[in-house]
Amino acid sequence: MDKIENFLNRNDVFETQNFEHKKNFFNMIKSLTDFHKKNCQKYKNFIRLTFSSDLIRKIEDLPFLPVQIFKTNDLKSFTDKDTFKKISSSGTSSTSRSKIYLDKNNAQNQVKALNKILSKKFGGTRHPMLIIDKDLSKISRKEFSASIAAVHGFSLIASKKYYLLDKNNKINYKILDEFLTRYSSEKFFIFGFTSFIFNYFLNNLDSSKYKFKNAVLIHGGGWKKLEEQKISNEKFKNLLKKNFQIDNVVNYYGLVEQTGSIFFECKYGYFVNTIFSDVIIRDKNFKILPPGKKGLIQLISILPSSYPGHNIITEDIGSIIDPNFKCGCGLNGKHFLVYGRAKEAEVRGCSDTK
Amino acid sequence: MVEQKKLKYEDVVIQNNLKFLNSLRIKILEPYSDISVNFLNSFSIELKKDKNTFRSPELFSLMLFCNRKNILKFKKKFKNDQFRIGRGLVFHVCPNNVPINFMFSFILGLLSGNTNIIKVSSNVSKEKNVIIAKIKKVFKSDKYAKLKKSNFFIEYNHQKNPEITNKISSKSDCRIVWGGDNTVKSIKKIDAQPRCLDINFADRYSLSVINVKKFNKLSKLEIDILARKYFYDVFTMNQMACNSPHFIFWIGKIIKEQENYFWEKISKIASKKFKFDDVHVMKKYNDLINKIMNIKLIKKIKMFENYLYLVDVDENIKNIENLRGNNGIVFQIKLKKLDEISQLITKKCQTVTYFGFQNKDFKNLILKNNLLGADRIVKIGQAFEFDLDWDGFDTIKSLSRVVNIK
Repeated sequence: MDKIENFLNRNDVFETQNFEHKKNFFNMIKSLTDFHKKNCQKYKNFIRLTFSSDLIRKIEDLPFLPVQIFKTNDLKSFTDKDTFKKISSSGTSSTSRSKIYLDKNNAQNQVKALNKILSKKFGGTRHPMLIIDKDLSKISRKEFSASIAAVHGFSLIASKKYYLLDKNNKINYKILDEFLTRYSSEKFFIFGFTSFIFNYFLNNLDSSKYKFKNAVLIHGGGWKKLEEQKISNEKFKNLLKKNFQIDNVVNYYGLVEQTGSIFFECKYGYFVNTIFSDVIIRDKNFKILPPGKKGLIQLISILPSSYPGHNIITEDIGSIIDPNFKCGCGLNGKHFLVYGRAKEAEVRGCSDTK
Repeated sequence: MVEQKKLKYEDVVIQNNLKFLNSLRIKILEPYSDISVNFLNSFSIELKKDKNTFRSPELFSLMLFCNRKNILKFKKKFKNDQFRIGRGLVFHVCPNNVPINFMFSFILGLLSGNTNIIKVSSNVSKEKNVIIAKIKKVFKSDKYAKLKKSNFFIEYNHQKNPEITNKISSKSDCRIVWGGDNTVKSIKKIDAQPRCLDINFADRYSLSVINVKKFNKLSKLEIDILARKYFYDVFTMNQMACNSPHFIFWIGKIIKEQENYFWEKISKIASKKFKFDDVHVMKKYNDLINKIMNIKLIKKIKMFENYLYLVDVDENIKNIENLRGNNGIVFQIKLKKLDEISQLITKKCQTVTYFGFQNKDFKNLILKNNLLGADRIVKIGQAFEFDLDWDGFDTIKSLSRVVNIK
């Protein structure tokens, strides 16, 4: 396999546009495809019937899996005894959860990549972090949920961790008061899932009493709840600013299947690609769409080495920003937008009575 | 006692509470009585006036089906020397995800002369709303006052309110249950009167078979026509209905160009006629990948973009009951003789659509191989033609009582 260190050791994670990088990235993903083909029987079955390797010249020619496949299949490219941990995405039933098998090496690379992205985005120094969740760290190390993984990952930039919720998912005001008394006069982070920020901050917290002037609020993990309530990203930001004086709100986007290589919003509200990933937009026939056109988002990551999650077509709709557009943020990576889940049509069939 | 406020009262529901159950008087009629035929014809006329009908293949076919001429054709075929009359109260448990199924179920109960309680899908669908509105409108006419008093449409969630199912079951003379195997099993467990007759339309699968000797001789134009028919069989209802074919069996040695032309044509038609959205595409792609990851007997796949996926399956496959596609995934197997499909036609098999065979070929196949499945054997293109003989039942006869007067 091509050396992943060549990517992980680079400093500017947004330097994705030059020819050299594109060539290396393509070779890396191609060798990951070959690696998983050799080491994961189900992936091999997939490749054998769907793709012919002599037709592969560019990154977009490489085979991609549908994101749902990780819910119905245990996909891993290593033997069971090496299992470091299993991550399940959030979901209400076991059939609707993605199962990701991580070995130690893969898990470490996720942390390394995330660390690079975080320090580039938020600076090298750590700050206190208020986590809008309960403390889940005492749960089994083998069975990891995506939320634990996310909190764990983001705490890389935390000098201190405070959990806002108690074990019954109620706001712990004592903790909140303590946190604000100690740290509100310096820079600090607030981190949580978008829906949690919405529930606990915007819907529950008394905004006349609590202000978070020096906070950088980082959130991600789904707009579904906000879409239902017709709250756009912009409105969400405005509400946080108006009610709690939080000026700096940063949304992130990523798949549990590609933990580590996530995308942050730039100052102007675009997600920006890093050297660990690539983003492609496809139409209903999986044809590549040009910048500006909306379609299904395909995400490619160099990180997944213990399971074949390196090339995935999602059910999210997005568009790439014209590469000639010079964004004020000054970051070099491919800019893109995410509009949310593809709209569900009517589900039909004879086999369901309620 | 049934709690009435638990019911969902939406505009589409004709009965907005269950009070009617307490004062219900069962009315019965002879099969195909004038009032029932007239009612359906008036309903068909109302559908014809609505532009929605012409945008929905399902409403359109319903309109044609309910037309007097069509119903009278069935009546004529019914030839009956016996004195028959409706069995009494028929309780229809209809599936959630087939919007117009409840109407067909109602038609069976109505034409056989029964009083009907129809549990309508609680899913939101345009077709459902149109149908209910038309029924309401036709019921307004005094001519049908009698029918209005003996036919009730209700909407509730059985899992949340099983007591409603219990109560109606206890009064029913017949229950018609459409649904997956689990629904059928769960309704079966609910007590009914000892003489209550249950007709269960459980989960089924369907397939197609083509006589290659005849197919090889077809002109391009004839293949176009066959492809168009097969397109409707496969893609109607997103290939999710029990009567949607998933497998095609080619009997005999096929000319490759003819075969390619056939599939190319279907994919072309699908690209023009089928409404794909991103969710369909992802469901379909995921389904395909899931199958090729897990089923060893898949030999080859061909993707006509995302319009049509063609999957070659090894002829040694032992069971195809649950090997199903969606939104245009067709599995194919090439065989030498028709008899070779017999082991793949199990009790669960509902519809066989065919091309190039004769009725006697299938009679022989069933008799010779003791087949317990395949209740509908119709020409390709007719998979979705509703019939009063369904799932092995002559429904009008099953739902009516023979009175032996000598």
